[in-house]
Amino acid sequence: MYIIIVGGGKVGYYLSQALLSEGHEVLVLEKDPAKCGAICDQLGSVVVRGDGCEARTLTEVGTERADMFIAATNEDEDNLVSCQVARHKFKVPRTIARINNPKNEELFKKLGVDVTVSSTNLILEHIEKEVPTHPLMHLLTLKGGALEIVEVKIPPTSSKVGKPMKDIVLPPNSVVCLIIGKWGARVPTDDTRLEADSQLVAVTSPEAEAALRAALTE
Amino acid sequence: MKIVIMGCGRVGAQLAGMLDEDGHEVTVVDSDTYSFRRLPASFKGKPLVGDGTDEDYLKKAGIEEADAFIAVTQGDNRNVMAAQIAKHMYNVPRVICRIYDPLREEMYQTLGLETISPTMVGAKLLRDKVVG
Amino acid sequence: MYKKFLVPVTGKKADDDIVRTACVLSRKSKGKVYVVHVIEVSRALPLDAEVEEETQSGESVLTNAEKIADVMDCKVETEILQARETGPAIVDEAVERGVDMIIMGVEYKKRFGEFAMGDVAPYVLRNAPCPVLLWRGPMEEAEQ
Repeated sequence: MYIIIVGGGKVGYYLSQALLSEGHEVLVLEKDPAKCGAICDQLGSVVVRGDGCEARTLTEVGTERADMFIAATNEDEDNLVSCQVARHKFKVPRTIARINNPKNEELFKKLGVDVTVSSTNLILEHIEKEVPTHPLMHLLTLKGGALEIVEVKIPPTSSKVGKPMKDIVLPPNSVVCLIIGKWGARVPTDDTRLEADSQLVAVTSPEAEAALRAALTE
Repeated sequence: MKIVIMGCGRVGAQLAGMLDEDGHEVTVVDSDTYSFRRLPASFKGKPLVGDGTDEDYLKKAGIEEADAFIAVTQGDNRNVMAAQIAKHMYNVPRVICRIYDPLREEMYQTLGLETISPTMVGAKLLRDKVVG
Repeated sequence: MYKKFLVPVTGKKADDDIVRTACVLSRKSKGKVYVVHVIEVSRALPLDAEVEEETQSGESVLTNAEKIADVMDCKVETEILQARETGPAIVDEAVERGVDMIIMGVEYKKRFGEFAMGDVAPYVLRNAPCPVLLWRGPMEEAEQ
């Protein structure tokens, strides 16, 4: 594949190194001549000095034949614009943008960027997984963010301890799929009673997440 | 009209002053308080410090009730992004965006943004002065 | 003693002089001379695209080098390389062939009114693992 990466900072550099080692044809666009020099010295002829938002530069580097376009600068507005130019002017089939402000995710999707990667969200998710006391952890995002799989730990203080599943009212779009206790994992039935310190794996939506946590842990 | 202007440079400040004098309700957003010195002393509108590409600040500026949004910061891409937030996320009825780069301007025009390129306007004016 | 020489030729005046120099130096050590011509392929095309015009002119550049070497009674090996940038291509080739010296030329050229060496020679000087002999064309011709 021919992959164009905008931004030769740390993200762009290590990304291009990884993609090169997988055998792809890679081109990095970078404005700063010093960074260009450093990349060229390390990775060879894979960098061109230029603005990844400028149509003229993108024509020069053959964006028309690119299979993938990745905007990886640390400025969201630059990432958005370069992806839009790649998509609308050069018909690149797949555009990916790094997002620094998680609030921009929805906007980018709405404006036709295929994939967004939010470093802030990724770091948050990792930290959540490492913090054991957090009652609700994200495990996986489904359907592009419409649904998610979460893990909920039942604290001993929960009023639901000892209650059967059929008495617990869950918010819409939420299903408890699995209960993990001292005895192992099982699929809950209506009569399964909640135990303190057991872990529940549930499907829910981002909107219902807080209600689900409340329904199980309060 | 309720008008939000993003960017309080020479053009932004001048425009804010003019619209304010015409009796509109004007909010100017700029990331640097020092920029607001350019506003005329008589300005009755609201200057607001903040990042105009961040939805929280745009809400503070009243984007949800705005009749018009004008993006005139120094950065083409900032303007484009803020204008698209105003248009697509908040359905502001009138959105105008300054883009210096003529090629970029052309593309966003075809994508449905109302744009103005001072580079083209300025160059044409000067040409007409010389040869006209 | 230097035995293997890499001589990148471009079709400019310097070619004749650097090929001759390589022949003289290699004769002493009974060494080998590799003459290469690099074609820079536009990024709009895949690297292995067929660039007929450039290949033809590259071949005539190499033929010229062979003729000069013949006169010097020296055998050279020639090759055309397709690359994105000439500098890195020369350095890569030098590494791959394990040469002991690169002999290259630059014209005396002015750009925006000032002497300019271009990008290739400085890149090779910065990155070549072996010694580099740089031949600069005479000033008068360029000034005329």
